[in-house]
Amino acid sequence: MNWTALFTAMMPEHLLLAGIVVLVALEIISERSRGALVVATASVSAAAAAAFWLYSGGIDASPFAGQFSIDPQWSLAKALVLSLAVPILLMSRDEFRDGPFYPLLLSSLYGFCLLLSSDSFLTLFLGLELLALPVYTLVLLAFRRPESAEAALKYLVLGGAASATFLMGVSLLYGGSGSLGIAAFATALEATDAMAIAAVVMILVSFFLKAAIVPFHAWAPDAYEGASVPVTAYMATIVKAGALLAVLRLVGDARVSGYVAGLVAFLPLVSIVWGNLTAMRQPSFRRMIAYSSIAHAGYLFYAFLGEGPGRFQAIVFYLVAYGVMNLLAFASLPQDADDAARDRLETLRGLYARRPYAAVMIGIAMLSLAGIPPFPGFVAKFLIFRNVMMAGYTTYAVLGLVGSYLGIYFYLRVIQYMFMSPTATAHDATPAKVAVSAGLLCLAAAIVLSVLPGWAIGLL
Amino acid sequence: MSEAALLNWVLYLPVIGIALLIAVPDKAEGQIRWLTFAITAAQFVAIVALYVAFDGDQAGLQFETRLPWIPDWGVHYQIGLDGYNVLLVLLTGFLGPLVVAGAFTAITKDVKLFYAMLLLIQFAMLGTFLAQDLFVFYIFWETMLIPMFLLIGIWGGERRIYATLKFVLYTAFGSILMLAAVIYLVWSLQQTSGITSFAFADLYRAQLPLSTQTILLCAFGLSFAIKVPMVPLHTWLPDAHVEAPTAGSVILAGVLLKMGTYGFMKLGFPLFPDATRAFAPAIMALGTLSIVYGACLALVQNDIKKIIAYSSISHLGYVMLGLASLDLLGIQGAMVQMVSHGLTAAGLFLMVGMIYERCHTRDLAAYGGLAKLLPVYSVFFMILTLASIGLPTTSGFTGEFLSLLGAFTASWPRYLAGEITPLASTAIAVTGVVLGALYMLRFAKTFLFGESKAPHMPLVDLDLRERLILVAIVAAVFALGLFPDDPMRKTELASKEFQQLVETSRLPANALSARESQRSTP
Repeated sequence: MNWTALFTAMMPEHLLLAGIVVLVALEIISERSRGALVVATASVSAAAAAAFWLYSGGIDASPFAGQFSIDPQWSLAKALVLSLAVPILLMSRDEFRDGPFYPLLLSSLYGFCLLLSSDSFLTLFLGLELLALPVYTLVLLAFRRPESAEAALKYLVLGGAASATFLMGVSLLYGGSGSLGIAAFATALEATDAMAIAAVVMILVSFFLKAAIVPFHAWAPDAYEGASVPVTAYMATIVKAGALLAVLRLVGDARVSGYVAGLVAFLPLVSIVWGNLTAMRQPSFRRMIAYSSIAHAGYLFYAFLGEGPGRFQAIVFYLVAYGVMNLLAFASLPQDADDAARDRLETLRGLYARRPYAAVMIGIAMLSLAGIPPFPGFVAKFLIFRNVMMAGYTTYAVLGLVGSYLGIYFYLRVIQYMFMSPTATAHDATPAKVAVSAGLLCLAAAIVLSVLPGWAIGLL
Repeated sequence: MSEAALLNWVLYLPVIGIALLIAVPDKAEGQIRWLTFAITAAQFVAIVALYVAFDGDQAGLQFETRLPWIPDWGVHYQIGLDGYNVLLVLLTGFLGPLVVAGAFTAITKDVKLFYAMLLLIQFAMLGTFLAQDLFVFYIFWETMLIPMFLLIGIWGGERRIYATLKFVLYTAFGSILMLAAVIYLVWSLQQTSGITSFAFADLYRAQLPLSTQTILLCAFGLSFAIKVPMVPLHTWLPDAHVEAPTAGSVILAGVLLKMGTYGFMKLGFPLFPDATRAFAPAIMALGTLSIVYGACLALVQNDIKKIIAYSSISHLGYVMLGLASLDLLGIQGAMVQMVSHGLTAAGLFLMVGMIYERCHTRDLAAYGGLAKLLPVYSVFFMILTLASIGLPTTSGFTGEFLSLLGAFTASWPRYLAGEITPLASTAIAVTGVVLGALYMLRFAKTFLFGESKAPHMPLVDLDLRERLILVAIVAAVFALGLFPDDPMRKTELASKEFQQLVETSRLPANALSARESQRSTP
């Protein structure tokens, strides 16, 4: 075994692991460790930097042949999504001063990294579970109200169902092809025998469950609402990114046609329409974001209709733009001692009068999520629908765009509450500087993506 | 500094202004107002310099900037002045400082945000006119929604939320379909010619079968027709106008509505020439419908803002009629009419705003005999009323007369060839002139003459700031009415280019021959 290759190629994972070890050690040494946030942020930033270094060095390696490999493209995806974790850590400062939050989050990120480098279903499953398991605990960790327990349980049970479905699909696939390599999936996409079809459908459905595609979405609103703000932000951005990138890893550049195209076009279309329509009626901010994320999962799955080579670009750009915007909104939410009150949309009434900069930032995030230019959400959406249309699915593209139109109203409603309503009697605490810096980081990223989308797209 | 660089400065000056505004403390309202005014005034001066430097005898783009922006898709950041947009840019620059000055006393809430939004919308409007790349155009086009949404929603009247959501949801629906059409159009260009480009100049060469052209024209046309607005897609306009603050109404009537007609002229018609020629009679008929229907509705309104709102629908009907006639005079008339309506409607909305600030009601019945109470105000109001009617020597005359003349010139040979719709449309459209005089004079009669009454006495006549604003607008109205030759010379080549683009068939070569053979076989 080549130890140097093993050391360099898995550098991001090693750095995360080192972070976890130090965090656990700190926890043992002192009851109330103050350095946890610093260690976690340093570890995640270092991991992201390492992944970026692997990308810019153009390193192609497989330290464990057939199980784990890296190439520049996927290293870049790893680097970008890991960077999204930095604002999440920063905004968690007020919610989780100490305790197991940081090691759990880093473990989940470790799973994410594993997922993006997996070459076999075994590594993929390991990555998926490692990504999801800490999140069940994270949801419960902010045990501020009874809903948190319910949310965690729902998430756990449905996550378990998804894993079981996935494993069933994989075993069928293994029975048919005799291989556990992920390339078997792309081959099965073309196959017409019942076993291959069953395997493909089961595996796709398990990811629909994880990404919350209608009709497998029911867990998302409860889980998002019950968790605390940083955890919801984590679920909406990185966990969702994990599910989508896993599918991308499996499908790759393979041609999507026949019943598979029907599956990745019809259910996502229903998600777009249903998510956007239901979001209009939500009284809670996080529930609204949950339905919005259901719609966005729809756009993301749409990307698989596009021609193979453009998929990676479309999905990763979308995930980054969507992630940055969600985090911008979450980081700018006013603080409140009462979590349930903080979550009510009503609390946002008249926010501009109280906290103008927070209101402007949430406003930018909402407009971008609605796909209104010049914000990055527009370019991201354009990229996906362009690919779909160029692959010849004109009707689906037009229907998807009309579905996205339905979403404009509820995003604008947030802006209406913040800017056009008399102020609510809220007593929001002064946000910590660290949380503000999370918002500023996202804003800077959003500005770069708006002004220089060409540069970002060229990178991918 | 080269003119191209100056044009970029003009475009980005409002953005710099917004950055400066953020640095000014919220309480320093006077500084905020004057800073914004200075920015827009500087912008106008630069635009005038560019307008003078613009050479009317040279076809195509001038002062062009073209830089790769999203190289993977062939998107370029491309802006420039040409005969299509030069007058509208001048109009936008001219109205900018007037809108800012007009809001000095009216806006007292969230002053900084208000002026930032005025600068943002100025940026978006200029960008839309200057863009020469469809992607860039679309971005600016949509960006306009954001400041307008806030302008109506924050500083509007009682039903402002309803009005602003209606405005945004109407226009966004058109935009979404246009987005689908944009993607499809660019993809078709790539398929047929191998060029991946969003540049207008390249898209003008796209060859599409008639059925595709028709669908795409409908998608683009719906978006533009909502913006114009053409009857029956106009219902958002009265609500938006009535609820908007004065500055919002002025921008809406003065510039924003021209986005729709400009869109038809720059994109809708020349991109899909065969479909346009097939539908030209229908578009003329719709233009006439807007003229007559808008005028009839204006006749029965009792809300003074609504009268002007419906008159806008009517006046923009002439623009559509002139454009769809595809006659050179009609096209030029349409261009002048766009600017003329921008001046008169903006002036009238400013004047309505001035009286509203004094009396706080828009009910026509509450007013009477203002000529005695407010002599200076009444003089300006009468001049703008007459300009709106289209009295000779004012800009309204040039625009309406040329549009109708062009429409008639184009329809007569068609009538001789057995096609009656265009001529009938033109004939009915002429009644719009009479109806226009009727509703505006009814308005002026009740408003200015008769028994003197006002909801709030005593009234103070216009102060220096208000007089200067109105003097500027009235001077522009007469300038365009008396000396229309210079602006028309600068737009003449563009009108010819537009006419030529629409009259040249651009069906794919094989489809043409297929139809030829079909025709010859039976």
